[in-house]
Amino acid sequence: MFLQTLVTGLSMGGIYSLMAVGYSLIFSILSFSNFAHGAVIMLSAYIGLALATKAHLGFGLVVTGSVVGAGVLSVLNEKFAYAALRRRRAPSLYLMISAMGCSMFLENMVYATIGSRFYPFPAFFGRQIVTVGGSSLSLLDLFAFIVSIGAIVALHLFITRTKMGIAIRAGVDDMTMCSLMGVNTDRLISLVFFLAGAFAGIAGIFLGIRYFVYPTMGWVTNKAYIAAVIGGLGSLPGAMVGGLILGVLETLISTYVSSVLRDVFSFTVLVALLIYLPNGLMGAETEEKV
Amino acid sequence: MSDNYLEIQGLHVYYGNIHALHGIDLSVGKNEIVSIVGVNGAGKSTLMWAIAGVLPIAGGTLLFDGAPLPTSPHRIVALGISLVPERRRLFSTLTLRENLIMGAIRRTDREGIAADMERVFALYPVLKERMSQRAGTLSGGEQQMLAIARALMSRPSVLLLDEPSLGLAPLVTEALFDTILKIRDEGVTVVLVEQNAFQALEISDRGYVMQIGKMAESAPAAELLGNPLIRKTYLGG
Repeated sequence: MFLQTLVTGLSMGGIYSLMAVGYSLIFSILSFSNFAHGAVIMLSAYIGLALATKAHLGFGLVVTGSVVGAGVLSVLNEKFAYAALRRRRAPSLYLMISAMGCSMFLENMVYATIGSRFYPFPAFFGRQIVTVGGSSLSLLDLFAFIVSIGAIVALHLFITRTKMGIAIRAGVDDMTMCSLMGVNTDRLISLVFFLAGAFAGIAGIFLGIRYFVYPTMGWVTNKAYIAAVIGGLGSLPGAMVGGLILGVLETLISTYVSSVLRDVFSFTVLVALLIYLPNGLMGAETEEKV
Repeated sequence: MSDNYLEIQGLHVYYGNIHALHGIDLSVGKNEIVSIVGVNGAGKSTLMWAIAGVLPIAGGTLLFDGAPLPTSPHRIVALGISLVPERRRLFSTLTLRENLIMGAIRRTDREGIAADMERVFALYPVLKERMSQRAGTLSGGEQQMLAIARALMSRPSVLLLDEPSLGLAPLVTEALFDTILKIRDEGVTVVLVEQNAFQALEISDRGYVMQIGKMAESAPAAELLGNPLIRKTYLGG
């Protein structure tokens, strides 16, 4: 029973991690919380749903389509809603308000065009079960966990080992200097939004499969925000660890205490962290010398 | 000597509502070292940021090798003009090696980049021992060396140095100025902004004196060093 709960928690945590990584990436480069991230996740689930039910594609192609689609949506989101503010050097509060506007606009667009129905995904995994040491674990849970962690490890390698990854970290450090090195910072920011969107795409598919696809499903990014704060906003390893911790704690609370208390618990953790540990577990350290 | 490699005429720059540069003229010849001296707040750094393309230009012409300068920083670097700003502005959370890679980020010639890394290590041997250390943990002098090395990795033809001696011990400053001469000997044109005007002019071919947003004087460096009025006002005696 405990192992089963743990795996369910880790799988949910993996999805939180994917969303939190997207949040953190954008936060670290533009210093604002992109509240439109949830809308991108929601749209990616609809893209995946259309590919699965209308085009009858297999799981791999559905994920690929959704990842690319969400990446492009995320780049467009930046171009239309943030780029102009960024060029005018607007305070980050303005970007955040623009993000909220985007989120409401996109949600209501879906209400107005597709409607408020809850759509289920086709049963890609059925109710397949793997038995490990006497506990029966859901194949979907295991798969979601492995894919999430795999994607985050791949992102970590990209960011630490490649030239483009170094440029992203340099941009996080000092965007002006990054442009003085010869980097086209508009393109660098688009790349970051694409990556964040791609992660939103994976998260959207897994959320859609686990629950349903509906216009307000993106609100779950509140949890990703909590995960990012637990790990320390702007830190990628932090976002991953924060997501996993939150997923496991929530599942333990729902299983052993009460599922009604799950969200109460999560938001209490958020408030407590913001008061006592605002930098999170792995928050960005700053070091400057004259 | 001056064949107008970098030529600036009537440059106006605003910081919000503040008129920071009032029609600056500056001309730098190929392979020269030109110093810009002047009191704090004269607009020397503003001029550097404007040439590098970071500050928007409100009026005037900037020509490099006869052609107008582009307006975005990454295109200006691509032409071969590289700025080492005041207070170094290293990527402090990146390692020394990663900072150098950033300097060469536009280049694709692997062997050339490796050769240039060896070249900057020959110039600043102490950097080689600190390859995987974070830039933020280096000493002030090492940070300044790294800042110049990072700029050299783009193979610039013009190096803009803003207050390189700021916060450095006198001996370190002297060594730094020696390397600036070496860099010029390798064919790089240097524009040097310095508080430390005396030492800057000593290694320069020509000097400009800047005064609250305007150029007050321009002359061969030796002449400026010999002018008693200039000595009194700007060189501290």
